[in-house]
Amino acid sequence: MTTRLRTLATNRLLLLGGLLAIVFLGVSVAHPGYASAQNIRDLLVQCAPVVIIGCAMTLVILTGEIDVSVGSMMGLLAAGIGILSSPERLGLPAGVVVAAVVAGGILLGGVNGMLVVAGRVPSIIVTLGMMTVLRGVTEILMGGEWITDLPASVRYLGTGEPLGLPLSIWTAMAAVVATVVVARKTPLGLHIYATGGNSTAAAMARVHVGVVRVTVFAIAGLMTAVATLVSVPQQSVIESGIGVGFELLVITAVVVGGTSISGGYGGVAGTVLAALLLANIRPALLYLDLGDRATFWERAIQGAFILAAVLSDRCRWFRRADGKAVTITTGGSP
Amino acid sequence: MKLLSLARRWETVLAAVLAIVLGTAAWLDPAFMALSTQLELSTHAVELLIVALPMTFVILSGGIDLSVGSSLALAAVIFGLSYEAGAPVWAASVLGVLTGSLCGIVNGAFIAGARVHPLIVTLATLAAYRGLAEGISLGRPISGFPDRFLAIGEGSVGGVPYSLLIAVAAVLAFALTSTRTVFGRRVYAIGSNEIAARYAGVPIARMKLWLYGIAGTVAGLAGIIHVARRNTAKADVLPQVELDVITAVVLGGTSIFGGRGSVVGTVLGVLVIHEVREFVGWRWQRDELILVVVGSILIVSVLAHNLVARRAR
Repeated sequence: MTTRLRTLATNRLLLLGGLLAIVFLGVSVAHPGYASAQNIRDLLVQCAPVVIIGCAMTLVILTGEIDVSVGSMMGLLAAGIGILSSPERLGLPAGVVVAAVVAGGILLGGVNGMLVVAGRVPSIIVTLGMMTVLRGVTEILMGGEWITDLPASVRYLGTGEPLGLPLSIWTAMAAVVATVVVARKTPLGLHIYATGGNSTAAAMARVHVGVVRVTVFAIAGLMTAVATLVSVPQQSVIESGIGVGFELLVITAVVVGGTSISGGYGGVAGTVLAALLLANIRPALLYLDLGDRATFWERAIQGAFILAAVLSDRCRWFRRADGKAVTITTGGSP
Repeated sequence: MKLLSLARRWETVLAAVLAIVLGTAAWLDPAFMALSTQLELSTHAVELLIVALPMTFVILSGGIDLSVGSSLALAAVIFGLSYEAGAPVWAASVLGVLTGSLCGIVNGAFIAGARVHPLIVTLATLAAYRGLAEGISLGRPISGFPDRFLAIGEGSVGGVPYSLLIAVAAVLAFALTSTRTVFGRRVYAIGSNEIAARYAGVPIARMKLWLYGIAGTVAGLAGIIHVARRNTAKADVLPQVELDVITAVVLGGTSIFGGRGSVVGTVLGVLVIHEVREFVGWRWQRDELILVVVGSILIVSVLAHNLVARRAR
């Protein structure tokens, strides 16, 4: 059983890796500029926040929960960065801003988790409500204005390049390593998989499923804060629309990456590959010079990728005639 | 005793919430509560209401459909393009609604046929249908529809807007189907316990195909009505309307896990959201307040629902 599951997991990674290689090499052959260091850097920078939040979202979905509030949370935390740091507003030093934003993220995630666990409200509803509330709060705080005078110390978080690589890429790599270690090498990781696999069984095995759930939501808040800190200051403008629709991008990456939506099965590696693949769509469309209207098809292609990922599981099912493995990989209804 | 159990029903709680909202509105601003104003504002909720009806069925069956807004947009765009290409307006409308049906059937085929989780399928088609709408129309708005078509959205008989009449008819159809037909009982059966329903002889796959097909069809219809109301067909109409729809259904007391809920509850849920939104917009003209209020209502109401349900046990 374990071997079979592992084969399936490697297959998904192989599939994604292969697709990524085909897309990347294909466009590079047609247009050598695509493989330039500058373009690869841009791709990675663009994909970094998806990867960072995707790591946490993978843990949330592994637990059998979902968090659709991360996009709005990002918007609120971005507004927080602007209001706390702008010399015209509070003008606090960068260190304080970072600490406040990180604490804010953990707090917001923790509130989500507490409502799910203590309030017994399904996570889709809690985070759907939060998504709306936080966006509203962001718009009230920003009052329809833009903040354009971020101090240099805060801008450094987005534009700084220690050791020749943008900070967001370093952060994304650190987030991936940390999440893999947590998921595979710590009791928390084991408990996350156990809770998602069968929460009743996990509870009987003395896993504190409530604590596990609150923890993963808090991690989602933390990672959203980190992603916001390293991505938003890349631009000089903060407005209230930051992060709209971002939750769908992140969840898409996790799902295409092969993590089961009903929990218990999947991993971070798939999420990272899927995020890279999705990040390639728009630049590839632009580079291939199909006309400036080609990008209108981006979302259609994104959707097709998810359906293709799902269908690939079905094809494997026909080959193996093993319904159980499929139920696990796609989280099919019983 | 009967009174007590009535008081514990979620619909009663919602009706009370609605009464409080309307009472507050009437107290703060009597003009808002004038019948003519209410009838005029009611058209704003038509799309939300009619899409929420099949969504209630889908969620009652234990599923979810995130793609309704995208199906709606695709239907609107197909309608606009085919009218522009010279099709008569009735034929273009039929084509639009059928586009919605097709969107729903594709969802249903993946969910019932390939047995993929509805959240994943409709997450994919949420992107795909909206993307197709953007791709086919290249994001361009289409307008210039004939007056006789726009009457669907703007016309009224005796002060009652046509679109409201359509919505009322749809409410009656769905309410009766849910309580008076075999189809309705089967929806509840699947949502309560799918395996038990299968052993009881409910054709699960066929039912799901129907449910998602109906959801797509009604979304298509809502798309046509929306175009008639705004005189514009565009790929980015009603962004994230699926979230409003799901919020309304869940606020209406339908369990996100299926099996429990009612069409009446959904109608009340839509009305609460609609009246709060319109009143806040009417009096303070601040859209951001609406977001905070609606989101809070969703979370707090489900929290409260849990408390009521637990005490009832």
